[in-house]
Amino acid sequence: MDVFTLAIWIGTFVFLGISFAKDKVKTKQALKMAFGMGKGMLSSILSIIFAIGLILTVFPPAEIANFVGKQSVLLATVVAALFGTITLVPAFIAFPLVGTLVGAGVGVVPSVAFLPTLTMVGVVTFPLEKKEFGVKFTTVRNGLSFLFAIIIALVMGVMM
Amino acid sequence: MTVFKKVKENLFSVAVALTYIIMFIINPAMGTESVKNSGYYIKEMLMIMPVIFVLTALLDMWVPKEKIMRYLGKDAGAKGIFLSFVVGSVSAGPIYAAFPMCVMLHKKGASIRNIIIILSSWAVIKVPMLLNEAKFLGLKFMAIRWVFTVLAIIIFSWISTKIIRDEDLPGEILAKPGLHINQEACISCTLCTKGYPILFEMIGKKAAIKAYDKESLDFEKLQNAIKACPVHAIEYLEE
Repeated sequence: MDVFTLAIWIGTFVFLGISFAKDKVKTKQALKMAFGMGKGMLSSILSIIFAIGLILTVFPPAEIANFVGKQSVLLATVVAALFGTITLVPAFIAFPLVGTLVGAGVGVVPSVAFLPTLTMVGVVTFPLEKKEFGVKFTTVRNGLSFLFAIIIALVMGVMM
Repeated sequence: MTVFKKVKENLFSVAVALTYIIMFIINPAMGTESVKNSGYYIKEMLMIMPVIFVLTALLDMWVPKEKIMRYLGKDAGAKGIFLSFVVGSVSAGPIYAAFPMCVMLHKKGASIRNIIIILSSWAVIKVPMLLNEAKFLGLKFMAIRWVFTVLAIIIFSWISTKIIRDEDLPGEILAKPGLHINQEACISCTLCTKGYPILFEMIGKKAAIKAYDKESLDFEKLQNAIKACPVHAIEYLEE
């Protein structure tokens, strides 16, 4: 286990200990909630992971990197951001995925654009959001999130 | 019929499984490769997912959100913005779990700006995730991206208030008195069915309400279930 994962585990256990000392009932409820969330999400997470495994076999990261490298940065960034909007991927899968892509040589800029749209903007969740907040709110929020994902990516590309 | 319904509910999983079967028939080598690729992510997931869920649930339980929510109105200013970031970053569940809660907040007077901040930070700046990002993409990458993301959210939430008016949100739908569950928000944590099994049940992956008699409701259990729901999907309206 690496330092970062270890830090989260230790931090969580300390937090859990303090929480348990302060309020047993509340802590048990939190653990039940965590377990329930995990169980509820497991099947959809596994499907997403197996789909990613499939996609990475058909399009190996090295080839993706090679292909992205040939495009202009702006185009690659917009396309990467668009790919991210298709579906919502939990962050703990999104990070290792983007890590794989960056490791294979895909530029930082498209990867950074891919990341927030992957977790934040979803064509899949659009109808849900529209129902709750109305068309205008949903369009403006998703549109601006998308735009700023690209801006952040470009700015980071200049800095790193 | 039930089989058909199950397939429809898990359309994505079924599609992935079918693709694997076809791939193993046509090109077994590629099939094996895909499983191997997936294995890496499953390993990463198992190492981090349990602890992330526990940490998120603990934060959700201990950060006094009810108190914070009083300070999210239009006049809250910088304090409201800061608190909105806090609410979004420590909450449990995926972004669509945030929708019903934000609608409720808006009805209670939270500004559009603060709602957008909650939704955005809910999606991208989960506190437990920051270390995970640093692990895969480096500490410097994480820190820079985090600063820019916060700045971007502050700017575009301000732009949004110039475009969206309060009236643009759907008006209050007069709900019937009684017990309601917002099933779209439900993340199947089963806390309500475990806490009050006579009233709640799981139908498929969603919590539902069994037929009940108003006189026989155990209000203490009901209030506990409403409070415990991580996505605030349970609502009880008095007559």
